[in-house]
Amino acid sequence: MIVRTGLTGPFPRSEALVAATRDLDRGRATAEVVEDLYGRTESEVVALERRLGFDTVTGGYLRWPDLFRPFAETWEGFTVGPLTRWFETNTFFRQPILHAPPSRVKGAIAARLPPAVRAEPGRAGVLLPGPYTFAGLLENRSGETEEALVHRLGRLLADEVRELAGTGYVTFQFSEPLLVDRPPERALAEAVVAAYASVHAAAGGATSLVWTYGADATPAFPLLDRLPVSAVGIDLAETDWESVPASPDRRGLGLGVVDPRTTLVEEASDVVRIVHALKDRRRPSVVWLGPGGPLDLVPWEPATRKLHLLPAVRQMLDPSRSGRP
Amino acid sequence: MSATLFPAQEIGSLTKPRWQIVGQHGDPLDQRAREEFRVANERTHFADDAPAAAEALLAGRSRDAGAEGVRDLGALFALRLFENAGLARVYDGEARRIEMYEYPIRQMRGFQFQGHVRSFDNKYYLKAAVTDEVRLERPYHVEEFDFVRRHARAEPKLPITGPYTLADWSYNEYYLGRRAGWKGPSVRRAAQREFVVDLAKRAIRPTLAALIERGCRVIQIDEPAAGTHPDEADLVVEGFNAATDGLDAEFSMHICYSDYRALLPTLLEARRCRQWAWEFANRDRDGRDGYEVLGALREYGDARSVGLGVADVHRDEIETPELVADRIRRAVTYLGDPTRIWVNPDCGLRTRRLDVATRKLEAVVQGAALARASFENPRA
Repeated sequence: MIVRTGLTGPFPRSEALVAATRDLDRGRATAEVVEDLYGRTESEVVALERRLGFDTVTGGYLRWPDLFRPFAETWEGFTVGPLTRWFETNTFFRQPILHAPPSRVKGAIAARLPPAVRAEPGRAGVLLPGPYTFAGLLENRSGETEEALVHRLGRLLADEVRELAGTGYVTFQFSEPLLVDRPPERALAEAVVAAYASVHAAAGGATSLVWTYGADATPAFPLLDRLPVSAVGIDLAETDWESVPASPDRRGLGLGVVDPRTTLVEEASDVVRIVHALKDRRRPSVVWLGPGGPLDLVPWEPATRKLHLLPAVRQMLDPSRSGRP
Repeated sequence: MSATLFPAQEIGSLTKPRWQIVGQHGDPLDQRAREEFRVANERTHFADDAPAAAEALLAGRSRDAGAEGVRDLGALFALRLFENAGLARVYDGEARRIEMYEYPIRQMRGFQFQGHVRSFDNKYYLKAAVTDEVRLERPYHVEEFDFVRRHARAEPKLPITGPYTLADWSYNEYYLGRRAGWKGPSVRRAAQREFVVDLAKRAIRPTLAALIERGCRVIQIDEPAAGTHPDEADLVVEGFNAATDGLDAEFSMHICYSDYRALLPTLLEARRCRQWAWEFANRDRDGRDGYEVLGALREYGDARSVGLGVADVHRDEIETPELVADRIRRAVTYLGDPTRIWVNPDCGLRTRRLDVATRKLEAVVQGAALARASFENPRA
């Protein structure tokens, strides 16, 4: 069994970066000083990702204020709206407001990727909002139906993937918590499948992951199993693994085994037992292991501590690969 | 219930005046801070009860006033601001508290602070993990309440963070870690229940008991996290009941920015809760009726009083008394009983400048008077 590991969303900011960005807001630090610290901290995250033997590096997406802001600030048709609670957490995002059918601006998102990611596109994990979550969480004043919007965002994200793949990026991860929080039905579900078909066609040979989290994925499996992507990830702290259905094909399976809601470190032996059971049930070609959602729900130090689970689990599942490549 | 229709009350914290922040650090007041102090004191004479600290502060001798002396002045300032606005129930604007999580947690054993988590943009909060059984070092807010009781001219109402919110805003290592095997959804829920109940019984309840013994009669349990996980409304209730059952005080529960219908009817099982203090004004705009949800209480036959949020704490725009009165009248329509309504801002006003907060409170009181007149003299 092939096992891959990596971050599945943003990493927390270091305490030094927390202090510096606070000082920036209070006029006690300059933008240059904070920019320099961002660069050094991203390099620290990349070094950690390498040290742990992750298959993708991300730099932690430390500069992104939230999942949508780079898009709402650069794509046409959007303004940035009010603070809105991010699912069942004590964190918030600024809700994008869509005033007209959106259009992307070439190169805008590539420029927002962490410099550490841009330096090594062949190993980078590109984080993108899933079209369903994006369409469902923005305030839609564009006049388009939600189905049409999912279609359109799917095509725009496919264009984004095509552009990035053309410059050497090979792994794209779509963040889709809404798929399990509020599973789409009927026409909306078909729009989601079509959106990912657009992405799949644009990705060529690149890897496309859809990562769900924050809610029980079991009711969404009939749809998740239809998505034409390399792998679908589920949050095992929210999903009872024993209820995960058998799979109709041998596509990849993503397992969120690091719970970002607690600083408690998971037991590798527990994870290995679950992976073996799900391997027998779903026969995945590849198992992706990572946090069950954005790890920035815990501070820097415990987040770092928790990530050490992943190489330990991989070592137990696949002794031929060490955690330190 | 209240003898007067629509009495007004405070609901939480005020922003600290500049002179308090500067003075607490031991720095001499600058011109602006001194002027703010002077203007506020002319209006309410709050410094009359602490003349020595006030004199030292204004003379540029903040260190002589002492941090505690400056906090006393901050508490008096808030008390008089609330009283001057016409509130029937007041507190000290949480003048001695930094926030509502870190302080209570620091009064307990069993927790370790883990670092900062980003709330949004460049805003963060410190978060602790429970790593051992919860134990209370000593009841907290007691000296603070003693001071308010000595100085308040209106009835004091003490706010305290509830057990569910303290648990939800912490990481659960101890109660989760005691369970063997994979920590799936059912295991996490059971561990969280144990954590909430332990917090309620071992920390909140003895604190409430100590406060009641000192004469605290009206206590607001703040549970802002209740709306984060509607499927855990039973844990909110269990924590509330474990903290308050058998204690003799008038308890209310403050929740804000939540889908209240999703918490009902489970929330109604909070046995000792006499009042729901909820936010409504924030959602009463853009053609939406923010008070319509009150109809749910009537549907369930709940007869408790309501602390009605009639001023939005996230906007500088001051509500007119007419708007406040209109909101009260609509609430009466949904509840069916005017005697059950207290009025207040949606939440603590610390997000607003002090001049804005003051004017909003005055609008709340004036709007209540307008509404009262229309019920007491319907033809007027």
